[in-house]
Amino acid sequence: MKFRAKIVDAACLNHFTRVSAMVAKLAKICALRISPQTMNFILSDKVAGGGVSMWCELEQENFFSEFQMEGVSAENNAIYLELTSENLSRALKTAQNARALKVKLTNKHFPCLTVSIELLSVSSSSRIVTHDIPVKVIPRKLWKDLQEPTVPDSDVSIYLPVLKTMKSIVEKMRNLSNHLIIEANLSGDLNLKIETELVCVTTHFKDLGNPPLASEDASQDRDPEQMAEVRIDIRKLLQFLAGQQVNPTRAVCNIVSNKLVHFDLLHEDVSLQYFIPAFS
Amino acid sequence: LALRSVNSCRSAYGCVLFSPLFFQHYQWSTSVKVNENDSKTSNLNCKLGMKSILPIFRCLNSLERNVENCRIFTRSDQCKVVIQFFCRHGIRRTHNVCFQESQPLQVIFEKSMCSNTLVIQPRVLAEAVVLFTSSQEEVTLAVTPLSVCLKSSSDEPMDLTNSVYSEMFVGPEEFDFFQIGVDTEITFCFKELKGMLTFSEATHAPIAIHFDFPGKPMALSIDDMLLEANFILATLADEPSRASSQQSLCLSQKQKRSDPMCSPNNNSKTGKNVTSKAPGCILRKTAPKRLYPNETQTDIPVLENCGSPIRKRVNGGDISEVPESSVSDTEETPGS
Repeated sequence: MKFRAKIVDAACLNHFTRVSAMVAKLAKICALRISPQTMNFILSDKVAGGGVSMWCELEQENFFSEFQMEGVSAENNAIYLELTSENLSRALKTAQNARALKVKLTNKHFPCLTVSIELLSVSSSSRIVTHDIPVKVIPRKLWKDLQEPTVPDSDVSIYLPVLKTMKSIVEKMRNLSNHLIIEANLSGDLNLKIETELVCVTTHFKDLGNPPLASEDASQDRDPEQMAEVRIDIRKLLQFLAGQQVNPTRAVCNIVSNKLVHFDLLHEDVSLQYFIPAFS
Repeated sequence: LALRSVNSCRSAYGCVLFSPLFFQHYQWSTSVKVNENDSKTSNLNCKLGMKSILPIFRCLNSLERNVENCRIFTRSDQCKVVIQFFCRHGIRRTHNVCFQESQPLQVIFEKSMCSNTLVIQPRVLAEAVVLFTSSQEEVTLAVTPLSVCLKSSSDEPMDLTNSVYSEMFVGPEEFDFFQIGVDTEITFCFKELKGMLTFSEATHAPIAIHFDFPGKPMALSIDDMLLEANFILATLADEPSRASSQQSLCLSQKQKRSDPMCSPNNNSKTGKNVTSKAPGCILRKTAPKRLYPNETQTDIPVLENCGSPIRKRVNGGDISEVPESSVSDTEETPGS
């Protein structure tokens, strides 16, 4: 197994750092999948994660000026690593004004992702910084749990409002209840509701717009005013929203009534899918 | 005016001397009789509780915005130090802090006798410090005449696979003064360095680092016209059995540095740096915790010897007994 890659462009480096910071906020420990074309940060829906799953994908050629990898074998040309996302995020943050950043898979008593940064210091002399981030190689038998999730047929698909606004509302609601109901319809209405014994609070978002549906039939059968709802753990939604430091290029919310909510985000060229199951 | 402090396990000592010029007005009246028996010195030597004095000077931003004048005077008849803030809008805030007489702490350390001296701008050091994840307890400074490297301490046991190992090379040209007589690697507490760095950034003066071989304490000092600060930190002694007994080293790291310690507090959630201007430092909850001596002190202790310590691993709960340390070079003598 071999992996080495290099980033020289400042914008690419910043973007990669932001993606890594976002992943660190969404999943404490995640899987990193390296394949010839893409890099993925994956959180599978194990019980430990509370059923939440995440799939983040980026095209390696949009970031790395050099990228070489050799997977486990020719038929299985991929590398799956498990790491503590914060370690990678912190290491990348130290590369703020770097001239170049190199990442490679190494073995220093145990497998590591070694990040080497060439910094230009104030006195214009070059400084080399190295971080060895410990990783675990995920064996092939566990790869099946880390595949791209199938996008479920949703009842309603709607564009999200500005995430910052949504986050501050959900933060306040968090104080009142642990459960939140998300409901939306095909007329661009989205509601966030909490219901407790003492109080019910609903925030209404209107005119959000709905993405065009894949199948024609579904749109004809469904009454555009009819709400599809799902009750979820508010903390999971908050964690998701807290991870979005920048407003995404595109943000879609897909609701499968009473089953799950699927967030499909695009941050420039990086796609993020986040699934929160209904509260059982 | 001298402010001195030492941490509970005697591995870090700080002393800041303020010249009278630092103050707008400085008046020492020898007519004050502190201790009638003590005719030799007319100094006022007292100790104040950290918890009493730190909160008064907290929130620098708000102090800068609101306080026009600050008056500090002693009422030795009442064993009090009075700190008065004259704020805007005619508001006057008075704090009375009781003190106890004590002997001044002294650490004898000859900076000029050190074979290695580096002088660096605080900015440069701060940039290096940013690299290390805050779960890092110790950091190693490795020097040769050609390079300086700051790196994560390699004392981590091999099964602590969650910690990132970082290293940064800084070229000699980045230092204002660079003199390396002996190639060496010294390991010391990172938190103490960070605290001192915050202080030095405020003074804008370069930091001088004096050190020798592992085990011998190192000195970090700042000397500008108005004040002189010296921080003496213990360094990890080079143990021949280092490779094989990494576990015990982690636990006994403090132990090896200087005098036998007091038995530590098992509450390792907060450790506050004892120097007067340093920020509080909270241990991260995510990294596996090794017991870090609780430096929150209500009292700056008069130097005293404590019994042999018993250390507890926070996450394991195993108790390991650690032997008394070998004599180190830190000489600490109580004031006369």
